[in-house]
Amino acid sequence: MEPVKIEPTRALDEALKMQKKLAAGLKTLRELDDVGYGATDKEAIYREDKLVVYRFKGARKPTAKVPILIVYALVNRPYMVDLQSDRSLVGNLLAQGEDVYLIDWGYPDRADRWLTLDDYINGYIDRSVDAVARHTGLDRINLLGICQGGAFSLCYTSLHPDKVKNLITMVTPVDFHTPDNMLSHWMRGVDTDLFVDTLGNVPADLMNWCYLTLKPVRLNQQKYIGLVDILDDKGELENFLRMEKWIFDSPDQAGEAFRQFIKDFYQGNKLVKGGLRIGEGEVDLGNITMPVLNIFAEQDHLVPPSASRVLADHVGTKDYTQLAFKGGHIGIYVSGRAQREVPPAIHNWLAQRAG
Amino acid sequence: MKDWPKNEWMDQWQALSRQYWNAFSDLTREAGNGAGRDAAAMPWHEGFEQWARMFGGPGKQSETVERVLASAKSFTAFAQSMIAAATAGNAGAAPNWAEVLRNGFKMPGADASLFSNPVAQALREISGQGVKSFEEMMQGLAPALDPAREAKSWLNVPAFGFLREHQEHYQKMAVALIEYQEQTRRYNALILKSSQRGFELFESKLAAREEPGRQIDSLRALYDLWVDAAEEAYAETALSPEFREVYGELVNAQMRVRSQIQQEVERIATDFGMPTRSELDSIGQRLHDLRREVRNGAGGQSSSLAREVESLRREVAALKAALKERTPAPAPKAAAAAPKPVKRKRSRPVAKERAQPVAALRADVKESVSAPVGAPPSREPKAAPPPRPRVTKGRAPVRAQRALPSPRAKKSVAKVAHSPTRVGHPVLSFAERMKAFARSAHKSHSTARRGGR
Repeated sequence: MEPVKIEPTRALDEALKMQKKLAAGLKTLRELDDVGYGATDKEAIYREDKLVVYRFKGARKPTAKVPILIVYALVNRPYMVDLQSDRSLVGNLLAQGEDVYLIDWGYPDRADRWLTLDDYINGYIDRSVDAVARHTGLDRINLLGICQGGAFSLCYTSLHPDKVKNLITMVTPVDFHTPDNMLSHWMRGVDTDLFVDTLGNVPADLMNWCYLTLKPVRLNQQKYIGLVDILDDKGELENFLRMEKWIFDSPDQAGEAFRQFIKDFYQGNKLVKGGLRIGEGEVDLGNITMPVLNIFAEQDHLVPPSASRVLADHVGTKDYTQLAFKGGHIGIYVSGRAQREVPPAIHNWLAQRAG
Repeated sequence: MKDWPKNEWMDQWQALSRQYWNAFSDLTREAGNGAGRDAAAMPWHEGFEQWARMFGGPGKQSETVERVLASAKSFTAFAQSMIAAATAGNAGAAPNWAEVLRNGFKMPGADASLFSNPVAQALREISGQGVKSFEEMMQGLAPALDPAREAKSWLNVPAFGFLREHQEHYQKMAVALIEYQEQTRRYNALILKSSQRGFELFESKLAAREEPGRQIDSLRALYDLWVDAAEEAYAETALSPEFREVYGELVNAQMRVRSQIQQEVERIATDFGMPTRSELDSIGQRLHDLRREVRNGAGGQSSSLAREVESLRREVAALKAALKERTPAPAPKAAAAAPKPVKRKRSRPVAKERAQPVAALRADVKESVSAPVGAPPSREPKAAPPPRPRVTKGRAPVRAQRALPSPRAKKSVAKVAHSPTRVGHPVLSFAERMKAFARSAHKSHSTARRGGR
């Protein structure tokens, strides 16, 4: 039997429907204003250089006694966690009664070329943690690290365990040498010193291109074919554009921090192999003895689950929980399922350790 | 499914195409452009050129519009080839789907080098605001590469003469460029291999759909199957050791070219007295190091000290409280007989530590100030006199300890500022330099005259 059973008239109809949607939708698309982002009200509680620590304001006072500080990755903007009112990890955590703070790294420029991982982890993150601790009058706070920010949070917690009460990591790479990690596979042949010495700060546009080339046909063609289906739905179209804006709105990477991150994490895999030094201290995941919740996405093409799952084997805590989310690297924040599953899971886990 | 006789399928196909174009023309008229065309044999995706003219250009969402149009164009070309094949299939001949697919990517007007190479095409299409490929970055360097291209012709010519360094530099740039082109060729070969493997996987995925109930009955489903195949093949290639090696070499080769160009730009900037990137980086690095030092001094140490002090305070308070609890209340008589607390002299270690550098600095300044004009400076700074413990409060005794400079050597601050002798740097006055220059000019002139005789 033939594998393709396409009725020509039906196929023609399909092609014409697509054209009709394009005709109606492209006009609408061009007329749409720039989409906004960031649904939740917030106040800045600490500023340093380009960094700002925000505290989000919920509709009611938080019931949780210990705040959560979100440490986002450097490679994207952190508003992904509060993209819009119905797709907001932050909004849903606030609704659960959590007290949520976030580090916004800003956009590094050539003046930030020499920032190292020591500056980021023992400097910026440490002072942000202190600022949140001061703001809440506590000695220890909860840390929620996302993606690269998760790797930073692991390093930070290992080096400053006395300041972290509970650690949550989301889509965080731990073992960078799993066979399905395409980014790591590519970076291992690159001469990082030559790369950073030549480029200085690493351009965000180049980073974006690298991410898109992980799945070139799916991310650059199939996705836009799919968009045609929703061109006549203004709300869906705005959602798409908001996401699109986030994808292409990326900061450049401070050269020295990038150099060390690629050499020590992607190439040296020192987070699990050992020998990772951040400033004066050596990172030992065994120092992480407080409760740890590790959440990863089963269809993550940027941080494969295998890269995340191994955290269980390396942390020193006896209180380790793992949550596998059915979705991808982005879907874990913005999908409908994520809104239903992730914030309550975080809240319940923290509530059980609130004492 | 309706079967047509072999000789009718072409008519049927042409009718479908005409129908498509007529509908498309109606749509373009509705959208405000009456430039519809009617031709049964026209490629369907050509219509997107009209969409691009109508909706492209500057606009709030123009980037997204362009991306949608590019994708829709590829999809329509794919759809047209598939419908044509399906129509032919209905005429009795089972189409070779992989071949049909391959031909579907041969869009007229597209880059012929990308025919049958949809992955390369998809990679090429990843561009626009917020994205920049290595290839585009290289295109940005094109004007700076002309000297390197010229230098290829004299790669093996030994460099000599006053332009030797420039020639060598351009030779290096040419070598880097040739290496980059070679690595690009290797990379493109792997991408082509991935596309071909995609067609193979597409065939095998189609074969798996031959079972009843699993057949593909829409263009979108067929397209999605192809995307799955293409991505699977690409992942196979991209995760291979060969790709890792080629990708790394491609990036490294481009960085070498960029590095050579940057060196050339620096040379030119230096010739024109312009600041260079290296200089700015150097300043940036120094500034950053300084900030770290200051921050570690001000924030890091003192905050940890503050924490330590706070902890010690708490400990002392706890000890005092414990002591108070244990000690019975003293009898009034015993209290009267209690010895007076011994007065202890306050040690001032901080003041002592500070005294040394201050004294050294004062001695240094004093020495520079008191040095006679034109006299050779003392290279070795004088050792600072050991600080004496302060016996009374106030600054007067400290001043009294200083050896007073001799009246002749003492100068006002204004004089010091204008004196040609600065701290640690002998500088002759302008008049003295002119005198020295005149002496030397006279001497050399006389020598020359003598030599000339």
